[in-house]
Amino acid sequence: MRVFRMQDGADTAPYWLPRPCFHCDDPPCARVCPVGATFKRDDGIVLIDNERCIGCRFCMAACPYSVRTFNWSTPNDPAAATVRGYSPEWGYPRRVGTTEKCDFCPDMAREGKLPHCSSACPMGAIWFGDENEDAVTNSHGETLRLSKLLRDRAAYRQLEELGTKPRVYYLPPDNRHYPGPGEAATTPGNQTSAVVQR
Amino acid sequence: MSATTLSVPVYASELAARPGVMDVEHDMLATLRPMGRAGRLWIASLLAICVMAFVAWLYQIANGLRVTDMRNYVSWGAYMTNFVFFIGISHAGTLISAILRVTDAGWRRPITRMAEAITVIALLVGASMVVIDMGRPDRVLNLIFHGRFQSPILWDLVSITTYITGSVLYLYVAMIPDMPILAQAARAAGRSPRLVRLYEALSLGFRETPEHRRRLARALGAMAVIIIPVAVSVHTVVSWIFGMTIRPGWHSTIFGPYFVIGAIFSGTAAIITAMALFRRAYHLERYLRAEHFHKLAKILLTLSLLYAYFTLSEYLTAWYGGVAADSRLLHLLAGNTSFGMAFWLWAAFGLFVPIALLLFPTRRSLASIVAASVLINIGMWVKRYLIIVPTLQTTYLPASAAGVTPHYLPSVVELTITAGAFAAFLLLFTLFSRFFPILSIWETAEDEAEVGVRKSSPVQAHYGRALAALAVTLMAGALTSFVPVRAARAQPPVHAGASAPVGSTNLRIAIRRSNEQGQDMLVGTITAQGRPVAGVTVAFSVNRAFGNMTLGTDQTLSDGSAAIPFPQGLPGNAAGQLRIHATIQAPAEVAGLSVEAMIPGGAPLHAVTGLEPRALWSTRTPLALVVTIGGLLLCVWSTFAFVAGQLVAMSHIQPEE
Ligand code: SF4
Ligand code: SF4
Repeated sequence: MRVFRMQDGADTAPYWLPRPCFHCDDPPCARVCPVGATFKRDDGIVLIDNERCIGCRFCMAACPYSVRTFNWSTPNDPAAATVRGYSPEWGYPRRVGTTEKCDFCPDMAREGKLPHCSSACPMGAIWFGDENEDAVTNSHGETLRLSKLLRDRAAYRQLEELGTKPRVYYLPPDNRHYPGPGEAATTPGNQTSAVVQR
Repeated sequence: MSATTLSVPVYASELAARPGVMDVEHDMLATLRPMGRAGRLWIASLLAICVMAFVAWLYQIANGLRVTDMRNYVSWGAYMTNFVFFIGISHAGTLISAILRVTDAGWRRPITRMAEAITVIALLVGASMVVIDMGRPDRVLNLIFHGRFQSPILWDLVSITTYITGSVLYLYVAMIPDMPILAQAARAAGRSPRLVRLYEALSLGFRETPEHRRRLARALGAMAVIIIPVAVSVHTVVSWIFGMTIRPGWHSTIFGPYFVIGAIFSGTAAIITAMALFRRAYHLERYLRAEHFHKLAKILLTLSLLYAYFTLSEYLTAWYGGVAADSRLLHLLAGNTSFGMAFWLWAAFGLFVPIALLLFPTRRSLASIVAASVLINIGMWVKRYLIIVPTLQTTYLPASAAGVTPHYLPSVVELTITAGAFAAFLLLFTLFSRFFPILSIWETAEDEAEVGVRKSSPVQAHYGRALAALAVTLMAGALTSFVPVRAARAQPPVHAGASAPVGSTNLRIAIRRSNEQGQDMLVGTITAQGRPVAGVTVAFSVNRAFGNMTLGTDQTLSDGSAAIPFPQGLPGNAAGQLRIHATIQAPAEVAGLSVEAMIPGGAPLHAVTGLEPRALWSTRTPLALVVTIGGLLLCVWSTFAFVAGQLVAMSHIQPEE
């Protein structure tokens, strides 16, 4: 996951923007894939089957969020990552000439664990959950009601106007304080995101 | 010698009787005679470039696309540019030749063969570019086994395949009357008997009989009509590879026509360039006359003005509207950047200079027409590059914010393969001209003999019928089941499991939902050996997939109960049950004691919401799309079948008397 330092206008405050795959409800990447290597599951997660991908990179051109990356050369997989064989759910072993992206770690969810990005965030800024349960959880073990959180904190989505219906919500900065803990004064404040899985 | 006697095509047995025609044949076959030193050198150097490009491709396969300069942001580059360029060139051909044939423009005759050959060869080279661009060319057959018709790539696949088939057929049908001449000439020149037999087989026994003429005219008429919509569709769907995405500069409603005009534009320039080369190399001045160049120059001028108009419409509206993403793109494309420099150089030398060269009749010498064509050809490659690369550098979420500056310049491997594509195009064209006459002998003979009297040719008479056949077949077809249907690879969504509530120690905690004074409450009651315990802080939470969600906290009253409002509308399991935990927080001696219970009152979980099995993103094709594509294909391919039928019938015509 890439984290962008954003500043929307010359006089507006800068902020950080972590950018996972948005697992769009109407995913342009899955629309254009000629072979169905990119597909949306019934639970809404958009995955890539790297055993089928032909490497045309149409999905990369189609994703308005520039989320997708490509294995331009043979990937260097750690041996441990390849032992359990391939599934689109974990994407290993990776293959040269195929695309990849953030997959919301559905294999972790199967075990009831948060995805790595969420569990690794020391600030508990990334919330993840099952939209059907109307709840999201962060790395501090806090679980909140999603619908209330989105409403109370005025959540928004990226490039809503493109009609992709992304399923990642952002919460506008709250309680910004400068400087942050142990940070220089120029660092933008905290930003909290709710990453939502349906 | 009257025009009528010579307006029929020449064929071998009649040649001797017609000295004028013998000349034509002699000149037309010039390209087939053994090559000189220069010719052999030409072929050898083209071959060498092709071999180098092939080695470069093997190197790319071995090392992955990292050997190109394409990266995650700019993920398409020179190969896609080549693809669009060659598919564009291919329009030359067929479209120009078919339009001129349908409108019975007599002057087309020495040009059509060349145009049709350009089409076939450019299509082959262009299509191969896509395979070279693929990360996994070894999986190209997945397009057939797992093809999804919602993807514009599949539209390209079917329309380009159709176009290749159609233009080979078209090229061949128009070449049939030349085959007996070729066979005879090859025999006379002592070429290998295999070659002679090949020509004879390809001639399908064509002779000058009314029956042969009729069949030929029908086949040619049908092909000339059907190939026009096919050609238009091809470049339209090529543009839609870009137009169907929602990126700035690509998501444009005029992209289809813009690309079609661009294709015919560059295609016409390619014909003029090829004509000039062959005229020079084989001294065909007698057939490829100034008149031909001038007529094509007028067409080219019209197209260049059209292209300028489209370009203006495309960019002026984007610039004036000033939407942020469009503005960023335009700044990159036409501002003070390297793309900007290329763009304005293109506008000057790829558009305005050619227009000026073609516009003024006094300056419209052959040299300036050819110069304009060459400039246009170079310019159109650059223009396609400028359509593809700057848009990919213009991301919605600024890449530079992540410390990445997207950039692209074709690598050595890409340049080598691009050079190889051009060499392969020239090589195939040269080889074609070594085996088949590059000017249509029979049509040129008609041209030579024509004194402007032929008004209704037999070919002409059959368009009506061809169109009618088309309409009938269009109505005939509704395909429903040709789309590969794959079971959705559905995995069950992740749900919480269920378990029973457990009490411990001598404290008992009971959880229930109850209506207290008209309020929906969640109540926990704490008892010790049957007696209620007051003053215990109880926290209620509900189990969710990744953690327990706190609902509220309360202290037990004298009746041992703690209560919080029941969470309204919270999704439960399929039966609508919530797994509620009640956990003691104080006093400290019993803190942490917890029970859980399945309590009804949650909203039932609807396991799958809004699954649309035939959405654009799903694995199955929307029915309207199936019917449209199926209907169009049926219509085109049945016309091909009709043409093939005419050829078969022709080959079965018995010698008379
Ligand atoms: S963010 Fe991009 S890659 Fe992810 S689902 Fe949407 S379009 Fe596809
Ligand atoms: S690169 Fe792979 S996943 Fe992307 S569109 Fe092409 S085949 Fe589908």
